Amino acid sequence: MDEFLNDDGTPRPAAAALWKLFDEIGPDEIQARQQATELDILTMGITFTVYSDGENIDRAWPFDVVPRIIPGDEWNQVQLGLHQRLRAVNMFIDDLYNDQRIIEAGVFPADLLEDSVNFRPECVGTHPKFGVWAHISGSDLVRDHDGTFYVLEDNLRVPSGVSYVIENRAVTKRAFPELFGRNQIRPVDSYTDELNKVLSSLAPDGVIEPTIAVLTPGIFNSAYFEHSFLAQRMGAELVEGGDLVVGDDDCVYMHTVDGRERVHVVYRRIDDLFLDPEVFRADSLLGVAGLMRAWKAGNVGIANAPGAGVADDKCVYAWMPDIIRFYLDEEPKIANVPTYRCMYESEREYVLEHLDELVMKPANESGGYGITIGSRATEEELTACAAAILDDPRNWVAQPIIDLSTVPTLIDGKMESRHVDLRPFILTGEHSYVTAGGLTRVALKEGSLIVNSSQGGGSKDTWIVDDTGGWEPQPVPASHTASQSQSQSQSQSQSQSSAGLDQEGGG
Amino acid sequence: MALLSRNADRIFWAARYLERAEDTSRLVQEFGELFDDMPSDDPHENEYRWAPLLAVCGDRSLLTSEATEGDVVNALVCDPEEEGSVAQCVAAARSNLRTTREVLPREAWHTVNDLSMFVASEVARARDRRFRSHVLTRVANDSRRLDGILTSSMTRDAAWQMWRMGRYLERADMTTRVVGVRAAVLMAQSTAPDEAGRALRYDEVQWMGVLKSLSALQMYQRSTRNAIEATSVVRFLLFDSTFPRSVRFCLDEIDRSLDQMSRPDSVRVAVAEARDGLMSTMATTTDGADLDQAMDWVQSLIGKVNGAITDRYLSIGAA
Repeated sequence: MDEFLNDDGTPRPAAAALWKLFDEIGPDEIQARQQATELDILTMGITFTVYSDGENIDRAWPFDVVPRIIPGDEWNQVQLGLHQRLRAVNMFIDDLYNDQRIIEAGVFPADLLEDSVNFRPECVGTHPKFGVWAHISGSDLVRDHDGTFYVLEDNLRVPSGVSYVIENRAVTKRAFPELFGRNQIRPVDSYTDELNKVLSSLAPDGVIEPTIAVLTPGIFNSAYFEHSFLAQRMGAELVEGGDLVVGDDDCVYMHTVDGRERVHVVYRRIDDLFLDPEVFRADSLLGVAGLMRAWKAGNVGIANAPGAGVADDKCVYAWMPDIIRFYLDEEPKIANVPTYRCMYESEREYVLEHLDELVMKPANESGGYGITIGSRATEEELTACAAAILDDPRNWVAQPIIDLSTVPTLIDGKMESRHVDLRPFILTGEHSYVTAGGLTRVALKEGSLIVNSSQGGGSKDTWIVDDTGGWEPQPVPASHTASQSQSQSQSQSQSQSSAGLDQEGGG
Repeated sequence: MALLSRNADRIFWAARYLERAEDTSRLVQEFGELFDDMPSDDPHENEYRWAPLLAVCGDRSLLTSEATEGDVVNALVCDPEEEGSVAQCVAAARSNLRTTREVLPREAWHTVNDLSMFVASEVARARDRRFRSHVLTRVANDSRRLDGILTSSMTRDAAWQMWRMGRYLERADMTTRVVGVRAAVLMAQSTAPDEAGRALRYDEVQWMGVLKSLSALQMYQRSTRNAIEATSVVRFLLFDSTFPRSVRFCLDEIDRSLDQMSRPDSVRVAVAEARDGLMSTMATTTDGADLDQAMDWVQSLIGKVNGAITDRYLSIGAA
């Protein structure tokens, strides 16, 4: 499905105003505006870092000036689904580290938890505030041939990309001021304020004006730009491990020119295993010795909570509909992609027999690495994939190939269809918040489904448009939440194009 | 708002790098213009008279170097591998401010980032005399623009004070270098008996160049209302209490910044010693060789201020 155009090439109502503008200004002017945004991005220093041949390269953020448009009423449904999903996810994580009711009830298999590489025994018995572990999450969504939104995966550890949502909007406003004047496009700027509120709420009791620190692995991290951006927008300190110290009183301090100063909340952008050499990897130079002690003593809030990643692997994903039903007694409001779990013999056999129709994903890789798209793999690649699955079935899931929606994208001065995904960001604390839209990533190569910026993907501004001035709302497609994981039926594997998206630059 | 020691370090050095880039740019620019006014009949002299500039920015021994104009401009401006070159300083300032974006106003980062992109792509063209001033003026202007942005939109917190201290420390250092090398050479010439007539011919022009290279000409003239004269120029550049590039003024400003910093005593002591040392050189301002030595000494005192700032503020918690 093309999100802008009907099959006959006429614009859909939501895209009509933009399409009309494109007609008026013509291809040269569109190209000129694209170039102007690229210049803006350079001057504003909006970058991401890629690793190549052992070197770190600070690259300009790849951006396509043609925005993506989603009608407001459709988005409202997605938002409800995401609120629901993250509420359930957090209850699930809290349960795993405490009573484990879901295992006792036989809904979630105990051996899966035992095998989980992201389960942290060090966190058992901890009760973070509000029962929330994953305060900041990014769920990757795709739309299929009829426009239905699916959650492709949840990123609960250190999801990145939100800074580009805000920066993309800033440059797009300059590119299409005439449309921002005329339409009701939901603003995205308030994210950092909302994040600030959630983080502040994690401060130890009694602290009125908490000091918040964003803990970054440093300048060589692919998401360093974002770490810095978020610190700027929140007025928080951007710290590296070496800036922090845990005192004998189990409180966290930073080294300032005035001496040690207390830190109340740490928004960490480094993985669990590097957080605290006393508890996790002893050779970590990125973390702070004693941080876990301080957290367990209630002297510092950490977001996301250590151990939150347990709900982030692709095996847990397969149980998500069951998890939502178990904790909330509700049906999922946003669909999961049907997922085959290779740990189960029957599902594994199905996968092995239908490799060429499925996308095979290792459970704990990010950035799109390790994924095999059946329909595009060579015979050798499929054989290797089958061997990898048999070698470690617990680590593999497979999903039917989804026919990803497309959006017109400026390629060499011409408008061409390219596949997109969407990563909204969800904040969960005492209350929850979903970004208006999110980060749209676009596969710039024709036919490609790999949208990761580290692998040649681009990005677009995402407009959630509430109808005024000629914008016709699109009819909401019939949502189908039927036949999710519990009733995994093998007939669902219509093979079309696919979805190979993954957590980006985490860590 | 507390300031991380690591950020204090980066901001202090960003300020030093940028001041260095600005000062070097102006120096190279004025040096070129000075020679345009002093054509020499000897092509060999034309080729090699740039060497003293190397000595200002680097080691005194370079005074007698065989470097040509091209070598000098390359080393001081264009070569990013060269220690202290404009290209290197701008890149270093950008890299430091990139890691302290949360502390400074956003426009400050945009300015440095923009300048850095300009320098990276255009600096090689500064070897060409016709294009040189375009590059050098841009560096000096953007450096001042950045100061303007910070002055008009930055909270007067510890980060601001670190910026100021970095700026004034580098400026004091550069002024002593210019005075030490250039002034000493000029005064030595004008007092050498048989060369006296020739040196004096250019004296006024040359001192004007020194003043210009420190952006000091007009303010000097307003303050003395007399013809340009060696001793008064040197005194103006070293001791004037109101001119913002004089060494004394720079040290006073550092002291003023320390008023806003916590527990500054160790740094204050170093600043006081540098200032006392500076004032005690008053007697040397009539003799070229003495002045040269005195400036060396003042530079070492300024180096001690740098050391005191580093120990007190910049290396807390450093492994």
